[in-house]
Amino acid sequence: MSREKLSGAEIVIEELKDEGVEVAFGIPGGVLLDLYDVIYKQDAIRHILMRHEQCAAHAADGYARVSGRTGVCIATSGPGATNLVTGLANASMDSVPVVALTGQVVTSAIGTNAFQEASTFTITMPVTKHNFLVKRTEDLPKVIHNAFHIASTGRKGVVLVDLPKDVLADVAKVNLHPKETFAGYKPNIKPNKVQTKKTAETLATAERPLILAGGGVISSNATEELRSLAELLGAGVVTTLMGKGAIPEDHPLCLGMAGMHGHVYANRAINECDALLALGTRFSDRLTAWQLDQFAPDATMIHVDIDTAEINKNIQVDIPIVGDVKLALDDILKWLEKHKKLGGKSVWMQRIKEMHSACDECIKDVKRAGTSLSDMFVKELNRILDDDAVITTEVGQCQMFAAHYYMTKRPRRFITSGGLGTMGFGFPAAIGAQVGAPDNKVVDIAGDGSFLMTCQDLATCVENDIPVVVCILDNRYLGMVRQWQELFFDKKYSHTGLGLTPDFVKLAEAFGCYAERVEKPEGLKDVLGNAFKSGKPAVIDLIVGKDDKILPMIPPGGGIMGMIGTERCKHI
Amino acid sequence: MQTHIVSLLVEDRPGVLTRMSGMFTMRGINITSLTVSPCEKKGLSRMTVAIKGTESEVEKVRKQLSNLIEVVKVVDLRAAEAIICDLCLLKVHTKDSEVRLEVMQLAQSYGAKIMDAALDSVILELTEEPMKIDRFVDLMQHFGVKQLFRTGVTAIGRGAGGG
Repeated sequence: MSREKLSGAEIVIEELKDEGVEVAFGIPGGVLLDLYDVIYKQDAIRHILMRHEQCAAHAADGYARVSGRTGVCIATSGPGATNLVTGLANASMDSVPVVALTGQVVTSAIGTNAFQEASTFTITMPVTKHNFLVKRTEDLPKVIHNAFHIASTGRKGVVLVDLPKDVLADVAKVNLHPKETFAGYKPNIKPNKVQTKKTAETLATAERPLILAGGGVISSNATEELRSLAELLGAGVVTTLMGKGAIPEDHPLCLGMAGMHGHVYANRAINECDALLALGTRFSDRLTAWQLDQFAPDATMIHVDIDTAEINKNIQVDIPIVGDVKLALDDILKWLEKHKKLGGKSVWMQRIKEMHSACDECIKDVKRAGTSLSDMFVKELNRILDDDAVITTEVGQCQMFAAHYYMTKRPRRFITSGGLGTMGFGFPAAIGAQVGAPDNKVVDIAGDGSFLMTCQDLATCVENDIPVVVCILDNRYLGMVRQWQELFFDKKYSHTGLGLTPDFVKLAEAFGCYAERVEKPEGLKDVLGNAFKSGKPAVIDLIVGKDDKILPMIPPGGGIMGMIGTERCKHI
Repeated sequence: MQTHIVSLLVEDRPGVLTRMSGMFTMRGINITSLTVSPCEKKGLSRMTVAIKGTESEVEKVRKQLSNLIEVVKVVDLRAAEAIICDLCLLKVHTKDSEVRLEVMQLAQSYGAKIMDAALDSVILELTEEPMKIDRFVDLMQHFGVKQLFRTGVTAIGRGAGGG
């Protein structure tokens, strides 16, 4: 392409267009005036003005998770950039492709404590996959191209580009859309054939094979392959929190989510299996719990992950495979279809059937003893929402009620802060999700504590016609911490009570949202119907009990076989 | 816990050192010594990091270092398969001519160079493997070491191996 004379800001926008960016979430500022002047003059990229930079990052994150594309957020220098940090850390922990553009003071003022200066480059280093501080306008084409390349390939992640004001304002002659990358950046995509063959043989001869599906199955778009392999083998499938939606949760081979707040049967299956195929998961402590001798003690452990650094990090494995999950599953499936040497798994399949139906009963039965309003509201959502609705969650009890009881049937339809556990994530993520999936219903399952952390962006929803629905499980407490205080700290409720303010209905109405309060689960259907019909962003305040607990759970220090609060689970 | 020498080939850019050292900080590993210098390839630098850690700790951090975008190559050099050098400069107190003579003779027997001599001190330079430097410094302590400077190790794999 011929050399063109453009300003730094024009180069940034031209490169964003070339990367196929259709939307950016951001807030302008002094050092970004040149960039926003160019944004004003074009209409290829939609810009959504957020009300807090943290929300801009979460919205880009939610957009990326729903659409599979790279999310883009923009913030100004200093406080704008530091406000982004939580959002970037969140997306990094869950390996979500996000590119963040931040303004920076003029290059000559860097390091002088200039107005609104912060060392964004050093501050964001540990919460990004990579970051750039651009010193010359001529470097912009290569930097922006690489930012998207790095964010969206290998183990996906966050890339931040820090843009000093003069770099954006200066004019340079450049070649747009370069394709060069870094010598040291070569993600391992293709799995080793010897390892995939060994895996296929192990699975074929195993008597009790189990597949553990993590978020990597979803990010590599391998859900069809996962399902085919499970059905071919007659293997059970359990998921991590990030893996929810990798397989329809009503599939007869699915035993739901495993881990600290998972299903007792999912954990039991991990304990009982003799071959565990872990796909795109980093074996977080919330999955494995702490007594590792209970975690698949009799199994041949197989771990497929695109990141070499995850292999043998938390769990020692027998067969490591570094590469893309989809490609690895393809190889395994091909080998199995060719050799057709599947061992007898009928006893195990019967066991899975038994566990699946116990799990199913637990989700569907609303009348069993010990059922709380919180889980009844979530179960009600299963009946009201269609399979393509997108659920986002805040963090804490609400998140685990949603993860445990909401049946996710499709990938990219359950969006939650898995690694960082960021309260205030669900609502701005819902904004991004709604922008990425404009025709789908988007519901944030929130808690009253979490929602108050980012609720100012109701203004963004109203101004931009983003009709997300926030369902607050409102118990007037920081519920998860309260639950731990109740169970492990002698009911000393230190600083978990939130008082009676605000009135969420009035708050939402003040923003111009549809709002209503619901006290009985059976009332949810009509109210939610009205909310969707209104076409407006909505807040539904669901009154739940302060003593509602999300159980069963693995207590701190326990193992996957040591769940407490299993009285309500069928013992099989 | 044993000493490992991690050799990295990295892009020569601002921030690479912070990124690299951040990986050790995150894992709570202390860096014993660190050298950074240009290498045979234009635009790349070589870093040599000496750390103490268990095999598995070092293996985990090696993998994470490899993940850094600007890191081209990472090698955990084993002592037996590498040439390891450290350079030390030390100023030794020499109270009279007799002592000065003794210091200079000992220095010569270690292969150290005499860089400067004054009436009450001499400056010695020794480039050697770190253990030998340790012994030399211990010996010189006997006379009184006023100042000690060491560059930290740099290392190269023998034969076809390494960095």
